[in-house]
Amino acid sequence: MKSKLITLGTGLLVMASPILAQGQKPATSPSDATRLAAAYIAMGIASGLCGLGQGKATASAAEAIARNPGAVAAIRFAMIFGLVLIESLALYTLVITIIAR
Amino acid sequence: MPHELWITQLFNHYLAGPANWLLNAIHFPAQDQGRPWSDWMVCEILVVLFVLVFFGVLRSRLSVDSPGKVQHTMELTYEFIHAQAEEVVGPLGSRYMAFFGTLFLFILFMNLIGLIPGFESPTMYHMVPFGMAVATFIFYHATGLKEHKAGYIRQFLGPMLWLAPLMLLIEIISHTARMLSLTVRLFANMFAGEQVYLTFIALTKVVVPVAFIGLHLFVSLLQAYIFMVLAMVYVGGAISHEH
Repeated sequence: MKSKLITLGTGLLVMASPILAQGQKPATSPSDATRLAAAYIAMGIASGLCGLGQGKATASAAEAIARNPGAVAAIRFAMIFGLVLIESLALYTLVITIIAR
Repeated sequence: MPHELWITQLFNHYLAGPANWLLNAIHFPAQDQGRPWSDWMVCEILVVLFVLVFFGVLRSRLSVDSPGKVQHTMELTYEFIHAQAEEVVGPLGSRYMAFFGTLFLFILFMNLIGLIPGFESPTMYHMVPFGMAVATFIFYHATGLKEHKAGYIRQFLGPMLWLAPLMLLIEIISHTARMLSLTVRLFANMFAGEQVYLTFIALTKVVVPVAFIGLHLFVSLLQAYIFMVLAMVYVGGAISHEH
């Protein structure tokens, strides 16, 4: 119990670390080329990882249907639900690249 | 000057006066007084009118003995939404079916109107899904408050009392993130679908864009369904009696 309090207190103090950035030069805003490059890389990484996640979800759904064909409806619902939620993570990246234009 | 749909041009030509009067009355004057109607507002109002007329006519033609095709389809939809509500929300889920059904059908029709040439999906603009998300937010908190009354706040306070300030902050952020995710999911799917469709029309003018029309159809159905299911999950979380 005491160690939990110590951890919590240390965590809160560490969160005050932005105060060390006082008095330094502010960042310059990026050029158009930098924005485009960042958008390409970000979308590439997001889509790639989304593909991996969705592949894993579909693979385990297909295996579950093969093991238990009676539960197809429930497995299909869980798969579609999972796919849409993973897809939306890649779409957040797309929205950020549109907003940061 | 940005391109307008022909129906928006009609609205702006004939109904610009009433629109400007209404906007001035709520102290939000239009940026371009000559064209206060925007594409998405016009299409959204068209969808509302269509839904009212469709269900009004259906209601007057309901019959137990000889149901028509439309009645069969709507009965199937009703059964589907009822089953989902019972499964996701719990045994009391069918009390809130009016909201879920309206949400599903409204978003579905708004997504599908983009398939008709000359109209576009109002859900392509970020304001419209945001409105749906805000309505869902208000609805599930209102149902939670009605169910638990003052004890509703206990869900946000976490398991132990001394964690309450931290848990409250985390829960507030999580709930606003839910609204953000609902908005962004619907908006980004519709917007990206349209952008990809336009890109492929520019690239290969004839055959390939048909695949994207099919994709738009599939994604419209799926996104409307997912919005409804997530609303059900949130309502189920709000009225749950676990604590």
